[in-house]
Amino acid sequence: MTQIYWMLELIPESVLLWLYYTALTAGIIMLAASWLVKWFPGISNYKLPIQLAGVVLTAGSLYLLGGYSTEVMWRDKVKDLEAKVKLAEEQSTEKNVEIQEKIVTKTTVIKEKGKTQIEYVDRVITQDKEVIKYIEQCPVPKAIIDAHNAAAEMNKAAEGKK
Amino acid sequence: MKYLAIFLTTLLVACSTPVPVKPKFPEAPQVLKDKCEQLRKIEGDRVAITEMLKVVIHNYTLYYECSTKVEGWQEWYNTQKKIYESVK
Repeated sequence: MTQIYWMLELIPESVLLWLYYTALTAGIIMLAASWLVKWFPGISNYKLPIQLAGVVLTAGSLYLLGGYSTEVMWRDKVKDLEAKVKLAEEQSTEKNVEIQEKIVTKTTVIKEKGKTQIEYVDRVITQDKEVIKYIEQCPVPKAIIDAHNAAAEMNKAAEGKK
Repeated sequence: MKYLAIFLTTLLVACSTPVPVKPKFPEAPQVLKDKCEQLRKIEGDRVAITEMLKVVIHNYTLYYECSTKVEGWQEWYNTQKKIYESVK
């Protein structure tokens, strides 16, 4: 069936439509004629072939017209969806750039703030007499350092348990 | 005639075809894909309180950098979901 449709696609649409409608009209005329022939004694013997040809032509052309309409409907849907997908991809790219810029800006500000804070510790806090006394006389006990370091590596323990 | 009618009816049965168009899975920004840095440890046995404070500040900085990325992922997901749902 696909091959038939592929072959039909090679014929221009206007020619195809013309063919379908001509076949449909011919089919309907033949069906009507098959009823009328009984009043004409000379040709009444041809009733069955005319009726048969009428049915085949009408049904065949209706089938092909239906197929054509469905094909057109699907093509429209595909076109519509392709346009929507294209628009979505553009929006997605735009948003990605927006998010990337936002994250980079925020990260830069955070890094700068952190740096400033550390510089403040070096420049001001370490010059404080009270603090100097602490630095010289009270080093941080090893237990506290170990507890801090263990907390800093909590994720490693979680990774080990996977 | 009866068989012909059945044959034609069979031919007239409609087929359903899915539309062969699928949206591509969106690529996340590179900055979101970078891993968060490991927190810094305090080195040495005799450490001044100010040195410890500097490590703590550094770790806070790392935390906020990482939380910014998480917020970025959340925003990325919500935005992409909205965009994906608009394609129907």
